[in-house]
Amino acid sequence: MSDAVARPAAAFQGLRTWWTMLKISLEERLVYRGDFALGTLMRFLPIVTQVFLWTAVFGATSRADIGGYTRNDIVAYYLLTMVTRAFSSMPGLAGGIARSVRDGSVKKFLVQPVDYVSFLLAARVAHKLVYYAVAVLPFAGVFFLCRGYFPPVPDATTIAAFLASLVLSFLLGFFMEATLGMLGFWFMEVSSIVFGYMLVQYLLSGHMFPIDLLAGVPTGVAGVSLADVVRWLPFEYTAYFSSAVWLGKVRGAELVRSLAIEAAWVVVMAVACRIAWRRGTRRYSAFGG
Amino acid sequence: MNRYVAIFLTFARACLVRDMTFRANFILECVTSLGWMSMNLAFYLLVFTFTPEIGKGTGWSKEPFFAFVATGLIINSIVQAFFMPSAEELTEMVRTGGLDAVLVQPLDAQFLLSMHRVDFSALANGLVGVGLLAWAVPRLDQPPPPVAWLLYPILIVCGVAILYGFVIMLAAATILMGRNQSLYDFWFYITNFSRYPAEIYSGPWGGPLRMLCTFVIPILLVVNVPARVIAQPLTGQTWIGVAAAVIAAAASLVASRIVFQRAIAAYRSASS
Amino acid sequence: MVFLYTRRMHNSDPSAAAAVSDPVIRVEALAKEYRVYDKPEGLAASVRSLFHRTSRVVEAVKGVDLTVGRGEFVALLGPNGAGKTTLLKLLSGIITPSRGTARVLGHVPWERADDFRRRFALVMGQRNQLWWDLPAAESFRLHQEIYRIEPSRFERTRDELVDMLGVRRLILQPVRELSLGERMKLELVAALLHEPEVLFLDEPTIGLDVVAQHTIHEFLRGVQSRRRMTVVLTTHYMKDVAALCERVVVITRGDILYDGSLAEIVDRFTTHKIVTLDLDEVPDQATIERFGFPCECRGPQVIMRIDRNRIAEVLPEILGSAGVRDVSVEDVPLEEIVAELFRSDARDAAASAGAAS
Repeated sequence: MSDAVARPAAAFQGLRTWWTMLKISLEERLVYRGDFALGTLMRFLPIVTQVFLWTAVFGATSRADIGGYTRNDIVAYYLLTMVTRAFSSMPGLAGGIARSVRDGSVKKFLVQPVDYVSFLLAARVAHKLVYYAVAVLPFAGVFFLCRGYFPPVPDATTIAAFLASLVLSFLLGFFMEATLGMLGFWFMEVSSIVFGYMLVQYLLSGHMFPIDLLAGVPTGVAGVSLADVVRWLPFEYTAYFSSAVWLGKVRGAELVRSLAIEAAWVVVMAVACRIAWRRGTRRYSAFGG
Repeated sequence: MNRYVAIFLTFARACLVRDMTFRANFILECVTSLGWMSMNLAFYLLVFTFTPEIGKGTGWSKEPFFAFVATGLIINSIVQAFFMPSAEELTEMVRTGGLDAVLVQPLDAQFLLSMHRVDFSALANGLVGVGLLAWAVPRLDQPPPPVAWLLYPILIVCGVAILYGFVIMLAAATILMGRNQSLYDFWFYITNFSRYPAEIYSGPWGGPLRMLCTFVIPILLVVNVPARVIAQPLTGQTWIGVAAAVIAAAASLVASRIVFQRAIAAYRSASS
Repeated sequence: MVFLYTRRMHNSDPSAAAAVSDPVIRVEALAKEYRVYDKPEGLAASVRSLFHRTSRVVEAVKGVDLTVGRGEFVALLGPNGAGKTTLLKLLSGIITPSRGTARVLGHVPWERADDFRRRFALVMGQRNQLWWDLPAAESFRLHQEIYRIEPSRFERTRDELVDMLGVRRLILQPVRELSLGERMKLELVAALLHEPEVLFLDEPTIGLDVVAQHTIHEFLRGVQSRRRMTVVLTTHYMKDVAALCERVVVITRGDILYDGSLAEIVDRFTTHKIVTLDLDEVPDQATIERFGFPCECRGPQVIMRIDRNRIAEVLPEILGSAGVRDVSVEDVPLEEIVAELFRSDARDAAASAGAAS
């Protein structure tokens, strides 16, 4: 019963914490004004190279499209991937968790009445909101300049699916990296695990190229391509999927199925993260860090 | 000069001892950088399943292109092994005041700061680069003439010198600004342009970009010139490139020297 | 203690400077200013600072004159932020001054000539200059190369220094496994390998235990007298000063407040002596009042501060009073004198700032 009374107050408290965190995060970014202005635009530089590379590839091949992508599609794809990555990438999350375990600062979450995972999620949302507020202008500028590469704006359903997939990709990215970080309870140094993860992620998320290009790569099992396997893994939902949805590469029943797979992965990773935290803290308190 | 070689060898030996103390870590670092590299190679292989060459009529078909990639690996691994770790550590040294200790030693500060750490694991990629080159070169349509073999190592050195100049100038920026967490990011973004043959930068946007990255920030000369010498027929354009690379290397070294001296003069030292 | 801030106590007037024989360090009107940017608090202010940053100039060292002769052991004292370390950095050429001149061993430090840098050493107590992951012996080797020390000489010096500090077995152990005190000892060895003529020490005993401090004192005294080395040291521990330095330079707010011998500081700035009486029994209030001095009672012990000039006159009287079993007369502790020196200067500054506004 006291719980019911405490809830609104706690919620209010929570909001205030969020607001403070948001403000501090924004201030921190504004202080480093050099990075702040350049950083976001610099992120587009690798895409410039990719665009030129693909233009050259299309110039030399007789095909009109590669894996269903015209040259314009490819450019649009890379740009959209930047948007998805802005949602799903979690710089420093896993490393930060592992560090807090290593240096013992995680202890305070065992003592304080705050749930660590929720706290991290809140901090990350604040972080992301700040980033979007800052990045929206350079993003809008780049997209406006490159509007010629994009197909016509898709229908409302596609846009809704696109937005849903972005939110899911944020959650998926968060829980995957948080779970990785929790491995710090078991391993002294998770940076190598994180690196391995990033490697696989880089290749299979579609960050490097559209996953559809893997449709011709055999897996050894007859009739199953690498793209078919990747579809069932969580990685492509952190970069490829949302972009493909916007470009109309995934439609109808396939779209519904893919969204379901993504949602399922979010649930799986959230549960895994919880379990890792429970087991990890139990182990931590048992061994005294 | 002899003394500097002796000191460098001492540094290198100390770093090797250190690397061998943390052997597991060393091996892991090798494996990771090899992992990234193979990922990129896999991507190129994938690209070549869709096209015979990169850019129509550029001559960068599969084998020459892999010779190009190999050249890039060799140059980058040299920079990553010998100069990058020191430059990265400089950020930390400025923050903690460790730079003070360097400045009181009777030794050229630029030498000490750019060479005191050696990351041997970064050489793993270079070795793969050499292997890749050994695979690609015999498969070229035309074997490289002796003069190409003569020029190749010289141009590699020029490429390294150009990049070294960039590293030093970025490090100098670290000293001036007192902080620079994104040194590595800058590095990544700048060198990113040197990863592919210069020919891909064409068209209304690409042309000016190519000019910019050749003459203003000579990043396109780093890999392109040596790679072209070894993997493509020698033409008049090649020779222009060779001259440009040599000049750019010299300019980069001189500029880095000037910028670094200025930065040291303006160094404030972390407060006690 | 009014006289303290009515007149600055400068001993480093030209005549005193001339008295220093064979000057190794000669500093005139040396000043260092920093421009610091205000980092405003609050979101709106942060946004504003994107376009316009406010800055002000901080004078870390303002026009210092100082001459140090060969073989002197000088302590730089002063509260935190007084400019001691900045002065040390100027003298070792790490930073360039805004104004003024300095010569150390005949060189302008901030030109950083190799010939100059080979002849001095700087040790910073809070920073580690040895290779963290390697045994100190490796760092020593590197020093040998950097300072071009002849191999036979290098080995002789190293063995000598290592034995003086009793750290021979530590030089083959990775530095990260050593305690702070052990590390400091090895830092000192590294700094002295090239037999510098001038040694700058920035808080060399910070955070060390009493035993390690003592060892380092003995060591520094030994090396300094044997090599006739000039040493300038900053510290917050009066033990360092008392054990090592004949000359003391007090710096506050970037300026030299006092320059003279340690004995003189005590002589000049102690107005009182501490007299401790052991009484037969715990005194009552009346007895205490009879002494007529401010005092503190700890059971049968009474501690009084008595004006120095009156000591001779009042002491017999006190001794004559009944029940005094024992008496001791001591100087005010050095810490207290120096703390008072710093404080009085701060009051002085506040007063003059108040007068100015």
